[in-house]
Amino acid sequence: MKKLVLGGNDAVAYAVKQSKVDVVSAYPITPQTSIIEKVASFIASGEINTKFIRVESEHSAMAAAMGASASGSRVFTATSAQGLLLMHEVLHWAAGANLPIVMANANRAVAPPWSIWAEQTDSLSQRDTGWIQLYASNSQEVYDLVFIAFRLAESSLTPVMICMDGFLLTHTKEPVEVFDNEIDEFISYKPEREILDVDNPKAFGALAFPKDYMPIRLKQHERILGSIDKFKSIAEEFGSISNRYYKPVYQYGDENAKLAIVVSGSIAETAHLSVDALNKEGIPSKLVKMTMFRPFPKEDLKEAFEGVDKIVVFDRNISMGKGGIFKDEIVGALGLDNVIGVVCGLGGYDVNDVDIKEAAKAVFEGKIKQDTILWGER
Amino acid sequence: MIIPTEEIMQTNHLACPGCGAALAMRYALKALGRKTIVVIPACCWTVINGPWGKNYAGVPVFHTAFETTAAVAAGIRTSLAAQGKDDITVMGWAGDGGTFDIGLQALSGAAERNDDIIYVCYDNEAYMNTGIQRSSATPVGAETTTTPAPLLKDRPKKDLMEIVAAHSVPYIASATIAYPTDFIKKFEKAKSKRGFKLIHIFSPCPPGHKFAENKTIDVSKLAVETGIFPLYEIEDGIYKINKKPKFRPVEEYLSLQGRFKNMSKEQIRSIEEAIQIKWQRLNAKAEYLK
Repeated sequence: MKKLVLGGNDAVAYAVKQSKVDVVSAYPITPQTSIIEKVASFIASGEINTKFIRVESEHSAMAAAMGASASGSRVFTATSAQGLLLMHEVLHWAAGANLPIVMANANRAVAPPWSIWAEQTDSLSQRDTGWIQLYASNSQEVYDLVFIAFRLAESSLTPVMICMDGFLLTHTKEPVEVFDNEIDEFISYKPEREILDVDNPKAFGALAFPKDYMPIRLKQHERILGSIDKFKSIAEEFGSISNRYYKPVYQYGDENAKLAIVVSGSIAETAHLSVDALNKEGIPSKLVKMTMFRPFPKEDLKEAFEGVDKIVVFDRNISMGKGGIFKDEIVGALGLDNVIGVVCGLGGYDVNDVDIKEAAKAVFEGKIKQDTILWGER
Repeated sequence: MIIPTEEIMQTNHLACPGCGAALAMRYALKALGRKTIVVIPACCWTVINGPWGKNYAGVPVFHTAFETTAAVAAGIRTSLAAQGKDDITVMGWAGDGGTFDIGLQALSGAAERNDDIIYVCYDNEAYMNTGIQRSSATPVGAETTTTPAPLLKDRPKKDLMEIVAAHSVPYIASATIAYPTDFIKKFEKAKSKRGFKLIHIFSPCPPGHKFAENKTIDVSKLAVETGIFPLYEIEDGIYKINKKPKFRPVEEYLSLQGRFKNMSKEQIRSIEEAIQIKWQRLNAKAEYLK
């Protein structure tokens, strides 16, 4: 292993290279573009054997990825915002066809007005497509999650989306520990799956009458639910190689916290500081970071909230007419009445540690009693 | 030539009686053989190939979204290449809606990249799988449920062959089931060439075009003999007309089909003119680009 200074996009490309991906199908979109440029440069220099389909749209990027995956290849693609939205229908197809495609999404706000900066509304709009969604908080996580994602996708026959905040993560360089060849055995493992095969001519995705459709869908649902445990065991195996351990829900701070700050994505890095500051001020606090959003890690969250009086969820996303999406999901899944949602940082608006701390403190002290917006006025 | 006797497509498929598209697939697979993977978007063939658990085509089939045929086929081709499997033919098999309209972008993308696939459009000149609604392949004067009389289709059919030809691909051909040896030869040629191939099949539809189930071949043949559907190839940019029409009166073709029953005399005349213009251009290209 060695340390390199990499942005999130570089980290993805590096991991794709080491994952021995057979086919990459992609279209450029800001701020994802440097991922596929880097992959193209690895191919051009002969460092990897990957085939690259330079499609004419994100819609075709996912469609081509689907064809490549259905015929047995390990497939990667990357996108962002409008591109992800253009893929929407095909995301359902890829998941419904049980195809273990891995995709990196650079989280970016959705137009109009045009914005190229960080926001999670793009990927959270894809919540119901049947994709596993993982949210990374730093470049190391991005790098590591690519390997875990391929194993998870292939073992649960479900595509995986790795989400990372645009620019904040995709372009900010930081030291990342990368493998030499320690990961080779872990990543070379591929379970058998049914593929398009001329010696066994089957039809995939044919018309299903109601009596067939419902059980097929429920099986898919169960398989995705089962991927929580799969994630845990794959992450454990990954940890034994890397000494970096991942959980669906990460916790940091006071074990006996009375206040939980829930975040996902790059704000989690900032919120570590807020939690430290709150604990220093005598408010026993912890960070609860959701790495996994789909399947929804309900039991892990329940455990994280044991003994907690107040929960405040910071959402860099918004469901129009409702509010923050993580907040809504948490309340809905756990039936809680002690959760306040804070929508913040839309379209790349800055979110700093002091603002997070102050907002969380105000919730804890009962000064904020309902869902709110954090403007970051300071 | 000898038409291969092996039947790959199965007989219990779910096509309507007299369906041109069913016969077209049967011929196509005779030419291409069992080492073929087919991509089928939303179209009549979604139904023809059988419900969940069935596969009447007899070769692997991937059902996909309406607009994705060419991209999915490109993905399969690339995947097979990555695995060193270079003896399998990948065929996209879409109707006119999925080709002329919603699938045109992906088709253009694959053609521009010269992806090594055979793209087949079986053209029944309307959205037949959802009933009979206008597509951009519907000819002037045709009645559909979205162009009910007197609002008959008033714009000419898009010229798919020329659109694809503008991408400089190795092989483009038109075919109909009324000329099976010509049809099969073209699929064999397409299979033998590397790069992007388009085969445009005129595929009569008894319920959509409103003719009796036993007239499918007659309608196909008349489409060629009246000059409405030219049989030609564009091979590496070289035009070759495969069958010179007798230019039988266009009424012979139109009167066989209920969809044209509300056409005016002027519309029929304008169709005759359009046929002549099209043939002048085609002859000129065949003469010049040979």
